Amino acid sequence: MKNEFRKAEDMLPLTPAVLHILLALADGERHGYSIMQEVTRRAGGQVKMGPGTLYGSIKRMLADGLIEETGERPDPALDDERRRYYRLTSFGLRVMQGEVLRLQQIVRLAQSKQVMGGSEAIGGVS
Amino acid sequence: MSASTTKHDMGFSYRLYCLLLRCYPAPFRRIYAQEMARTFRDSYRAAIQQHGRSGVLRWWGVVFYDLVISLFIEYRSAFKKLLNPIEERQSKNYMSVTNIIFAQRTDIGLKRQLNEDSVISIQPEDQQVMERKGILFVVADGMGGHARGEVASQLAVNTIRDVYYQQESDDLAASLRLAVEQASTRIYHENMALSPQPEPDKIMATTCVAAVVQGDSLYVANVGDSRAYIVRNGQPQQVSLDHSLVAQQLREGLITKEQARDHPDRNKIYRCLGYENVEVDTFSEKVQAGDLLLLCTDGLSELVPEEEVVSIVQQYEPQESVQHLIERANEMGGKDNITAVVARVA
Repeated sequence: MKNEFRKAEDMLPLTPAVLHILLALADGERHGYSIMQEVTRRAGGQVKMGPGTLYGSIKRMLADGLIEETGERPDPALDDERRRYYRLTSFGLRVMQGEVLRLQQIVRLAQSKQVMGGSEAIGGVS
Repeated sequence: MSASTTKHDMGFSYRLYCLLLRCYPAPFRRIYAQEMARTFRDSYRAAIQQHGRSGVLRWWGVVFYDLVISLFIEYRSAFKKLLNPIEERQSKNYMSVTNIIFAQRTDIGLKRQLNEDSVISIQPEDQQVMERKGILFVVADGMGGHARGEVASQLAVNTIRDVYYQQESDDLAASLRLAVEQASTRIYHENMALSPQPEPDKIMATTCVAAVVQGDSLYVANVGDSRAYIVRNGQPQQVSLDHSLVAQQLREGLITKEQARDHPDRNKIYRCLGYENVEVDTFSEKVQAGDLLLLCTDGLSELVPEEEVVSIVQQYEPQESVQHLIERANEMGGKDNITAVVARVA
């Protein structure tokens, strides 16, 4: 379901799972397992998302209009089984941008208070 | 570790996870259990390939933790829904605002390389807009080679949405008609921009059926052979007009219903969006509680008999209905893209 009248700010803050799924879908549509792989890869193995969290989040994101299903088809890289693919909606994109801005502001606040012992240290935290 | 042990372990783990999936609330399970089991299996396979048995143990650790957390979340949300159904209905998280519950789904089918159908369901969040303009559903079945059918159907649904909600007029039928006309003009200009004198088979075009439910009124506008139905007390009534040559001959009594069903030209339509001017048919009806609204492309209506469609939409909630309708069309051969919107007036 899409909804063009809602404000992106109303959806913030996002849970880490939702933000990671949105980021995984930022460069194109994916099926569930592919989202999971992308999240694990991008987070350098620090975020492990199980199927329950993944599909629970997908369910809520569909209902909120952040993502939409684009149909079922097999993934040529895996096997012949049909998988449901998901993509970002324009609303989902706006919400993701809103969340990233919000996080940037927090990072800026932290920098201004020098909580990392100097602003240049921020980038080096792993 | 031998290949047979790995396989044996995987079979056991997979079955165990499938058993654990039964812990989730039934509505959630019905929609996602299969996909979750697959995802589990794929991750399991990757874990074993990368890290062997220790990878599997770590993966089971993630899965158990995930199971406990997500079970808690799903039951909490199911419980809240049970305790407070009215509040839930008004909540932004669910698809049922005012008194309509709806779901949409589109599927590539089994034979096509591309999905050229597009679908949109709009339920304005702004209460004033919602009350004035209602909920909009649009289904479009694009045509034209080189993926351009997809572009045409997407342009159609987006233009109809934008134009319909921008109209100040309270004449909703007229607003809907204008929105469909403008969608056609928009696609026509796209065609012209690509080639001022396009060859007929290179023109992109699309069918469209658009429906608005506002209060107890239903307005439908259509061009082509995508359909809208109301199912009331188990009786289907088509509230759109098929602009196909065969349907026209049937209306004029030139051929019988049986002849129409097997006619080789039954997919040929004489009206579609993609031209500068298009004639749009509009219909208005009153809806009542219990009515079911169905919008679909011919990928569904051509394959699944009407009686079966009625039995599915009556038996299930919209979210499951759309899934079953598409599964059924695929079982019948899935020769075209399949799209359905089901809405229940509560």
